[in-house]
Amino acid sequence: MKQSFDAIVVGAGPAGSSAALTMARAGLKVALLERGDFPGEKNMFGGVLHRLTALEEAFPDFWNQAPLERHIVKKSLTFMTGESSFNVNFDTEASDRPPYNGYTIYRPRFDRWLAEEAVKAGATLLTRSTVDDVVIEKGKVVGVTMLRDGAELRAPVVIAADGVLSFTAKKAGLRRPKFDPSHQAVGVKAMVDLPKEVIDDRFGLVRDQGASNEIVGCTEGVRGGGYLYTNYDSLSIGLVLHLSSLSQSGKTPYDLLNAFMKQPQMAKMLRGGRLLEYSAHLVPEGGYEMMPEIVGDGILVAGDAAAMCIVTGLNLEGINLATQSGVLAGKAAVEAHAKKDFSRAGLAVYRRMLEESYVLKDLKLYRRTPGMLHNDRIYSQYPEMVCGLMDEIYRIDGAPKDTMTKVLLRAAREKVGLKNLLADVYSGWRAL
Amino acid sequence: MNINPDEIFDTTSFNVDREPHIVLDTEICKKCDQRACVNACPARCYTWSEEDGKMTFVHDGCLECGTCYVVCARDAFTRWRYPRGGFGVSYRMT
Repeated sequence: MKQSFDAIVVGAGPAGSSAALTMARAGLKVALLERGDFPGEKNMFGGVLHRLTALEEAFPDFWNQAPLERHIVKKSLTFMTGESSFNVNFDTEASDRPPYNGYTIYRPRFDRWLAEEAVKAGATLLTRSTVDDVVIEKGKVVGVTMLRDGAELRAPVVIAADGVLSFTAKKAGLRRPKFDPSHQAVGVKAMVDLPKEVIDDRFGLVRDQGASNEIVGCTEGVRGGGYLYTNYDSLSIGLVLHLSSLSQSGKTPYDLLNAFMKQPQMAKMLRGGRLLEYSAHLVPEGGYEMMPEIVGDGILVAGDAAAMCIVTGLNLEGINLATQSGVLAGKAAVEAHAKKDFSRAGLAVYRRMLEESYVLKDLKLYRRTPGMLHNDRIYSQYPEMVCGLMDEIYRIDGAPKDTMTKVLLRAAREKVGLKNLLADVYSGWRAL
Repeated sequence: MNINPDEIFDTTSFNVDREPHIVLDTEICKKCDQRACVNACPARCYTWSEEDGKMTFVHDGCLECGTCYVVCARDAFTRWRYPRGGFGVSYRMT
C-alpha cells in the first residue's frame, strides 16, 4: 500500500501536532503518525507546561480550550537533605490571570487534544503507526515505511517530531548514531491521588491555582533534581537523573524516588495519597550542544527530536520550544510547497525562522548551563551547606553565638571549600 | 507508598507484544564491565546474575524510555526500536 501526502509528520506530540495543525490550516494534505493507540499515550514529563506563545496565535483563548489542570501561581526552589529543607518561594498574582504563565497538564489528555485540533483542521491522524525507516531517493527523503505492515507513505517533506531518541532523524543521517550519556537524563515520576481540597489546603491554593516545586539535594549525590507539582486532584512527584552520573552511582531510579517520597517534608505533602501511575522518559538535557542537523533534503527535525530543551536548574523548558519549532517547521514546509523546493536549501528557512525566534536564541544563551550542572557539589554539598547554615542560625542550644559572617564562612569552608565556592559562583555566573 | 518495579503492572498499563522490541546479545553483556543498564533501567528489565554469569532481559514491563539504549557501553543490542504500533506501555494520566 502506498499513499501520498503533501507532508508527513512523525510523532503526534506537541511538536508534531503543532506542525500538522499549521500545515493543515494552510491547506496542505498532512499525515500525522503516532505509534501509540492515541496521541500522548507514550508521553510523560515532569513538568510545567510553560506558556505556549506559538499556540496562543493558533488558539487566541488557549487556556479556555486546552485541557489544563492548574495554572502555576507559586514557584519554589528547595534545598534538601535527608531530614531538613530550605525553601525559596515566589508567589505572584500576575500568574493568576490570563495569559497564564504556566500550567500542569496530563500529557495523554493534552497531546490528544492538540492532535485532535490538527485533525479538525484537516490533518489525517494515523495511530498505531510506528515508523520503521525513511524512504530516500536520489539523496532526498521522500517518505517513510511503517513497522507493522510495511506500508509506505510518500510526501516531498517529512517532519521528524518523534521525540528524544528520534530514529527518524538517525535514519535520515541527521543525528549521531550514539548518544552521549552525559547529554541525557531520565525522568521518573509517581502520580499520587489526593482530593482537590486537600491539595488546596496543603499548598495554600484556591480555585485552579497550582504550585510547582523544584528540589535540589534529594538524589543522594546523583546529578539531578526532584520536583513536586499540583494537578487538579493529584500530585506529580519525581526525579530527573543524569544518565552518566546515575550509571556510575550504581543506584536505581526507583530506590531514589522511594527515598525522596519518604523524606519527612515530602512525606507530609503526600500523606494519605495513593499511587496512581509510575512512568519514565528521557530528557535531552544537553540542549544546544547535542542538537542534530535540523534540516536535510526533504526533512526537518523539531521538538525533543532536535534536543530543544533548556535546563537552568530553576526551569526545565521543552514543550514551549517544541510547539514553537513545530509551528515554524510547518510554516517552512508550506513555503517549500509554494516554491516547489524541498531541498536542504529550500527548507533552510526553518533554521532561519528558529534563529530569529526565542528558540535558538535561548538554546544558545543557555548552552553552558548543562556543563555547569555537571558539578557534583551542587547535588549534595550545597544543600547540606544551606540547611546546615539555617540550622545553626535558628538553633538555640545554650552555647554563645558567632557572628553570621563567621557562621556562613565556616559552613562554606566545611561543606564546600572556599576555592570551590568561588569557582562555582564564577561558572554559574558565566552559564546563567 | 512505594514503587516496586517487580509489581509495575499494578501502577502502569501495558499491551504487551509477544515480539520483543529490544533484543540483547547477552554474550556481549558477559564481557561488559559496567552493566549500567542493570541499575539505570527504571523498570528493572535487566538482571545480572553473578552466579551464572548471565544477563536476563524481560521486555514486558519496559517503559520505552531509552535509558538502556543510551547507557549501554557495548552496543549490545541486536535490535532496539519502539514496539509495533499500539503495543507497549500505555500511560493514562501522567
